[in-house]
Amino acid sequence: MLKITNLHAKVGEKAILKGLSLSVQAGEVHAIMGPNGSGKSTLSYILAGRPGYTVTDGAVEYEGKDLLGMEPEIRAREGVFLAFQYPVEIPGVSNKYFLKAAYNALRKHRGEPEMDAGAFLKFIKAKAKDVEMDPSFLNRSVNEGFSGGEKKRNEVLQLAVLEPKLALLDETDSGLDIDALKVVAAGVNKMRDAKRAFVVVTHYQRLLDYIVPDRVHVLSGGRIIKSGGKELAVELEKKGYGWIEDSAPAPKVPA
Amino acid sequence: MIAEALAAQKEGWRYTPAAALTGPDFKPAGVPERILPLAGRVLCPVGFHRAALVNGRWEAKHAVLKLPDGVTVEPLGEASGLTELLNRPAPTDLPLAQAASSARDGFVVRVARHARADRPIHLVHISEASASAESSQARVLVVLEPGASAELVEETLSFGDAPSWKNVRAQVVLGEGAFLRHHRIVREGAQGRLTLGLEVTLASRARYESHALNFGGLFAREDLRVRLEGEGAECVLNGLALLGGSEFADHHSIVEHAAVGGVTRQLYKAVIDDKARFVFDGLISVKPGAQKTDAQVYNKNLLLSEDARVNTNPEFNILADDVSCKHGGAVGQLSLEALFYLRSRGIGADEARRLLVYAFGSEMVDRVALEPLKLALADALHGRMPEENL
Repeated sequence: MLKITNLHAKVGEKAILKGLSLSVQAGEVHAIMGPNGSGKSTLSYILAGRPGYTVTDGAVEYEGKDLLGMEPEIRAREGVFLAFQYPVEIPGVSNKYFLKAAYNALRKHRGEPEMDAGAFLKFIKAKAKDVEMDPSFLNRSVNEGFSGGEKKRNEVLQLAVLEPKLALLDETDSGLDIDALKVVAAGVNKMRDAKRAFVVVTHYQRLLDYIVPDRVHVLSGGRIIKSGGKELAVELEKKGYGWIEDSAPAPKVPA
Repeated sequence: MIAEALAAQKEGWRYTPAAALTGPDFKPAGVPERILPLAGRVLCPVGFHRAALVNGRWEAKHAVLKLPDGVTVEPLGEASGLTELLNRPAPTDLPLAQAASSARDGFVVRVARHARADRPIHLVHISEASASAESSQARVLVVLEPGASAELVEETLSFGDAPSWKNVRAQVVLGEGAFLRHHRIVREGAQGRLTLGLEVTLASRARYESHALNFGGLFAREDLRVRLEGEGAECVLNGLALLGGSEFADHHSIVEHAAVGGVTRQLYKAVIDDKARFVFDGLISVKPGAQKTDAQVYNKNLLLSEDARVNTNPEFNILADDVSCKHGGAVGQLSLEALFYLRSRGIGADEARRLLVYAFGSEMVDRVALEPLKLALADALHGRMPEENL
């Protein structure tokens, strides 16, 4: 589903990704772990198409298509979803209206008729219940005045409504207490199926107790330096990132 | 006379492109050949009391006035007992308002002691299409006796391709405990010019609530003079201007707190696209002895193009020591973060921009309590959203 090959990228003049490769198949959950500054969020943003990043080398294929050549909204309509680490507050736009605009944009892209307001309201109320969100949040401005946990829950609500094929979760666990974490994880787990893939970016192993990955990758210095099964996450939690970084081969000096 | 008055304008016209008024050779507007119906041309919903001035003249055909006891809406020429108010000179630094004092026609709205207008009163100022540049002048007098209340929807609009200019002097007098909601909707179009001098006085515990919504017009200049004369009076000034093309809007206000315990809440927002310009100059003046004044003046602007311009100057002049005063002016652009967030959910770039602009402006529409009007205003706001490819 997703094939990243030798991805190099920079922000301004600063190189962040330095030859990252990763392959994700439908139905799989991949965790990307790494210390602060390793390029985790950069990877998420580049996949979602955030302006401000320059890809200097490499390629990203999504369902056989060139993902990097698509506008952010086209990526979303094609089934890519990024759950933001820091969801954006949008005063004046109700959560309900926002979800409807997004949902209908996707339907239109697929050649389906737009869902009318009444049917949509019923639909999102059921989804909000699934992620244990108070329906009053649907009438509030997008993320405005939400607590950290409520914002993350709102991301999972969007995930549930938009039903992407490829979901990228960027530090979805940060700022969550254990109860909120369980709710968020349950929302994600409910959506796991053979046609959908997840890439879970996290600093801590904690989230992976609840969203159990098929593969774990360690990102450091802009490259994946080690990959393994879910046990790798446990090992990282015990030993920290230092032992892998120390034992990893030195990056190749460019010719 | 209007030309001399314009020439006398000096103070506070630094950023105002008076060429829009001095350029065309304006002649006093005549009576239009035909009186066209208002339906479909006004924004305000039907079902309100209504009166209209066409080219500055009261038009009986447009009047729908089945008013309850104690409420009157009359043409200027028929109103009696207002000599003092009629002869009161305009502030000396508003020569245009003084020029409008000699207008032959206008609206006179009166609500007697403790009476209440059962429905909102819609006052329409129309400039009908003409072959050449025309100007008209009008007066508006609104007098609410103690304990009276009313809701006004004043709408100014113009039609046709020839330049038109309305010069209006409005006076609002609120007695003790009186309450007026004053909606002012401007839809002047590509050739319409509006200059307005609005004087408001508030007695004790009176409340004046204004919603000024400018949906475009070549040129709109408003000078507000609000005076809180009695204790515990309250003044709310909300404003929204949506400007594009080479439109210009200029809001100047002086709110004078002359008594104890007055409250002012002023918030003007402007969305400025293309080569449009907006000027905000809001002064709150707290006189000696006006203790416990609680006043705020804010202006927030959203610039949508490189060529759009704004001059903002919210300020205070405080001569009392026990007061709470806050002010602020902000000029910003659309948040790139918010744009990306919307796009990352599948919402197209153009739609995302429109959504964010709408969100910025809708706060002011949401403050309108009059439900059918609020819906019409929300539609108008939608209709003024920027086109694609900003």
